Amino acid sequence: MADTKESIIPAKRIDGYTDRISVAPGERIRFMVSCQGVARYRADIVRLIHGDLNPAGPGFKEAEIASTVSGEYPGRNQPVRPGSHIEIDDARAMLNLSGAFSLHAFIMPTTPQAGRQGIVTRWRRDRAAGYALVLDESGRLALWLGDASGKSEKVAVEGGFIPWTWYSVGASYDPQTGIAIVARQAVVNSANSLIGRVAAPGQSAVAQKPLGRLEVSADAPFVIAGYAAGGPGARTVVEAHFNGKIEAPRVYSRALDASEFEALARGVEPDPRGLAARWDFAAEIGANGVPTDVISDRSGNGLNGRCVNMPARAMTGHGWTAREENYVHAPAQYGAIHFHDDDLEDAGWDADFEWAVPAGTKSDVYAVRLRGEGVERRVPFFIRPPRGTASARVAFLAPTASYMAYANFRISVEADVGQAILGQTPVLNPDDLYLAEHPEYGLSLYDLHSDMSGVCYSSRLRPILNMAPSFLGANGLWGLPADLDLVDWLNARGYQYDVVTDEDLHREGLALLRPYKVIVTGTHPEYWSGAMLDAMEEYLATGGRLMYLGGNGFYWVTTYHPEKPHLIEVRRGESGSRAWQARPGEYYHSTTGERGGLWRNRGRAPQKLVGVGFSAQGFDESSYYRRMSDSFDERVRFIFEGVGRDELVGNFGLVGGGAAGSEIDRYDLTLGTPPGAMLLAASEGHSDNYPHVVEEIMFMYPGVGGTQDPAVRADMVYFTTPGGGAVFSTGSISWCGSLSHNNYENNVSRITANVLERFMSDQPMK
Amino acid sequence: MAESQSASHADKSLEVLAHWNGRMREKLRHLVTDELIAEHARDPLGQHSDALERVLNYLRRAPQPGKYAVLCTDPYREYRIVVLAGARGQSARFLDERRFSTEKEALHAVFLERLKELRRG
Ligand SMILES: [Fe+2]
Repeated sequence: MADTKESIIPAKRIDGYTDRISVAPGERIRFMVSCQGVARYRADIVRLIHGDLNPAGPGFKEAEIASTVSGEYPGRNQPVRPGSHIEIDDARAMLNLSGAFSLHAFIMPTTPQAGRQGIVTRWRRDRAAGYALVLDESGRLALWLGDASGKSEKVAVEGGFIPWTWYSVGASYDPQTGIAIVARQAVVNSANSLIGRVAAPGQSAVAQKPLGRLEVSADAPFVIAGYAAGGPGARTVVEAHFNGKIEAPRVYSRALDASEFEALARGVEPDPRGLAARWDFAAEIGANGVPTDVISDRSGNGLNGRCVNMPARAMTGHGWTAREENYVHAPAQYGAIHFHDDDLEDAGWDADFEWAVPAGTKSDVYAVRLRGEGVERRVPFFIRPPRGTASARVAFLAPTASYMAYANFRISVEADVGQAILGQTPVLNPDDLYLAEHPEYGLSLYDLHSDMSGVCYSSRLRPILNMAPSFLGANGLWGLPADLDLVDWLNARGYQYDVVTDEDLHREGLALLRPYKVIVTGTHPEYWSGAMLDAMEEYLATGGRLMYLGGNGFYWVTTYHPEKPHLIEVRRGESGSRAWQARPGEYYHSTTGERGGLWRNRGRAPQKLVGVGFSAQGFDESSYYRRMSDSFDERVRFIFEGVGRDELVGNFGLVGGGAAGSEIDRYDLTLGTPPGAMLLAASEGHSDNYPHVVEEIMFMYPGVGGTQDPAVRADMVYFTTPGGGAVFSTGSISWCGSLSHNNYENNVSRITANVLERFMSDQPMK
Repeated sequence: MAESQSASHADKSLEVLAHWNGRMREKLRHLVTDELIAEHARDPLGQHSDALERVLNYLRRAPQPGKYAVLCTDPYREYRIVVLAGARGQSARFLDERRFSTEKEALHAVFLERLKELRRG
C-alpha cells in the first residue's frame, strides 16, 4: 500500500501548566496557557475522579466545581525557548571592548558538527555585530568580529573537534595591528575525555590573520554557551546554544599572543594585565552542593552572571583525575558546566488567569479543564488540606516527584530498545508523536539530551503532556491516570481522604503525615528524596500505617532544588533499571551534594521500609497472586476476610489483565525485609519479558526471565511497626487497575478495603 | 589532528553489525511458519513459543528510524500503523489507510509488515 501524507497531529492545540502543583485553601494558583489555532477557550475547574477511557472500566469521571475561574478566555500562542546558557550582568558595558581583547576557555564540545554554537560571546546575530568565540557551521573554532557599521570578519582554525574531548580554546584581536589569532589545543589526560592520550588528539593549531582595523562595539548581552539573536530586551533571546562543557572562561582587554594561549592550555597564568573577567564555575560549590544559578567573576570586576534553563553543574572539568568523585571534596576539578541546547527549566509563559482557592475546598485531585474549537486539555493539580490540619483519617500521597521524573517521557518513541523493554510494539497516542516532533516541551529523566548525555533535571514549569487523566502511554496506564484508579475506588467505596503530594512531604516531613491514621501511596512512587524517606520511616516507626499499593517504589535517590520547588534532580548511577548512566565522576547531585543512584546502594533498600523492593519489570501482560501460608495466620484474618482459601488474587484487571504486573517487588530478608514480616501472597507465571532486575545480576547467565527465574514475582507483605503501626505492601504497579473489576466487587478490592478499614481505626495494630 | 567526521574515522563496527544482521535474518526466516504466524495472531502479547520469542526479540530491537508503531487514533476504538522518524523533531507518518478496531489486530498487522521485510532480505 502507498504511504500517505496525511497529517498525524491535530493542528489545533491547547497546552498549559500551573505555577504550583499542590495548593491549600486560601492560597492562589496561576495557570499558564498557550493555544495553537484556538482563538478562544473556556476554562473550568474540575475534580478528577477517573480518567482511563477503557470501556471495560468505570470510564471517565469528573465533577465540575463552581469557581471564579469559569469563563471564556482569549487564546494566544506562547513560545518555549529551550537551551541553557549563562548571561553576564554587565550593566556598565565593561565588556563592550572596542580596543584589543582576548577570549579563552576550556571546552568539551559534545556535538561539534551540529552547527553554529556560541562559546564566549558578546554578539548579536541580527546585526552581525560584537565579538564571539564560536564553533562555526563546519565545526571549526572561529572568532567573529563585527562593528556598528555592519562590517564583519570571521577567522577560523582548520580542523574539527573530537566530541567529548577537552580543548583549550582562545582568540584575540588587536585593532592596532589588525591581527586576529584563534588557537585550539587538546588537553587530554587519562580520565577527562572520551579518548585517552594514546589516541593522539593532536598538537596545537593556530590561525593568525590580518584583518585591518575594526571597532567591534555592539549593543549586545554577554553570553556564555550561545549568543543573542538581537539586542538586550526584557528577556534576552539566546540562540546557537552550545552542547557540551565549558570551564573557566575569561576575557582580557589586551591581545594575547599564541605563546600565552599555549601557556593557558598548560595551566600557566599569563601576565594578569588586562584581565577583564575570569569566571570560576566551582566558586559556588559548598558542603551542600552547588544549588544556585549564580556565576562568579574572580577578576575583581564583579561581572557576575546567572545560569538560564539549568545547565548541569558539578560536572568534571578538564583537570579531573578520577581520584576523587565527590565534587564537594575536590571543587577545583569540577569547574565545568555542561550546557545543552534542549535544557528547559521554565517555559516562562505569562499567566492567563489565577484562582484563589476558597476556604473549605475539599482536598483532592483537581484539574483546570480548557476547551475550545473541539480541542480539550486538562492540567492537573492537587488541593491539600489547610496547612497544619488534616480533614480525613486517610491521605493519598500523590507521587508528584515520579510524575515529574516521567514528564514528557519519550522512550517509547525514541529509544531503539523501547519496544524490547515493553515486550511489544508500542501503542502510542497523538501527544507522544507531538512530543517527538516538538523537543521544546522538554525531556523526562528517562531521555537523552541531543548530545546523548542523560537528562538529570526535570521541572514542572512547562506543559507535561503525560500528566493528564486519560493519557494512555505505550507502557499502559501509568502515573496519574493509573493513580486515578485508586482515587475512583476511594470515591466509589465512600472513603474520606485527603490528598498530599511528594513536594509537601519533602518540605514538611513528619508533621504532614502525623495527623493521618493511614497513608496510601500511588501505583508508582519511585522517586524519593532523603527528607521524604526520613519522614516516612519516622512515621512508621512511631505508630503510622502505610499501604504501599504500587511497584518499584522508593528506588531512585531524588533531590529537590532547595530554592526551586519545581525542580528535581536524579543522577542515574552504576546499577538499576536505568535509561542512561551518569558519566564517571558525576554521580553526585548538584542540588544537594548527595550521591545519586539507587537508595539500596546508600543503605536504604525499599525492603527495609516497606518489606518489598524492585525485582522485575515487564509490560506485555500482568498476572495474579497465590496465597501463601502466612495469609492463613490468625493475625491477618482481617486482611483476607471474604476471600476463599484457594482463590487466586487479582486474576483480572485493566492493566495487563492482572493485579501483579508492570513493575513488581519482592520480599527479601537479605535486603532488609523486617524479619517478622508476613509473606501473604506471591505472584507467578510471568513471561520472559519480565527479566530479573539488573542490580541483582552479579555473574551473567541465561534464564533470568519470568519463565525461569523465581525472583520474578510480586510479593504481598504485611508487618507491624513499633507504636501500633503497620505496613501493607502489594509490590505491583497494576494492583490498582484491578480495583474496579466486577463493579468493585472482587478480591483485590476486598483486600484493599479490609486493610484500609482496619488501618483507619484508632485501635493499635498488634 | 584527528577529526571526528573524516572517512578514515568511520565506525568500523558497522561492518560487523551488517554481517551479524544478515546471518540473524537468514536464521529467523527459517523459523517463520504458518503456525508461528497463527500463534502471534492468537495473542501478540505475553509468553510465546521459543521460536516466536526469538523472532520478536530481534524485531523489537531494530533501530528506531523507519520502525513501525501503533497509533491509537480513538481511545479503545481505532488504531493505525505509523512509521517513526526516529529523529527528534521529525514527524512520524501513517503507513497506510488501514484502521483497526482492536489493539491486538493492529499489533498483529505490524508483525506481518515486519515479516514481509524480513522475507525480502
Ligand atoms: Fe519506574
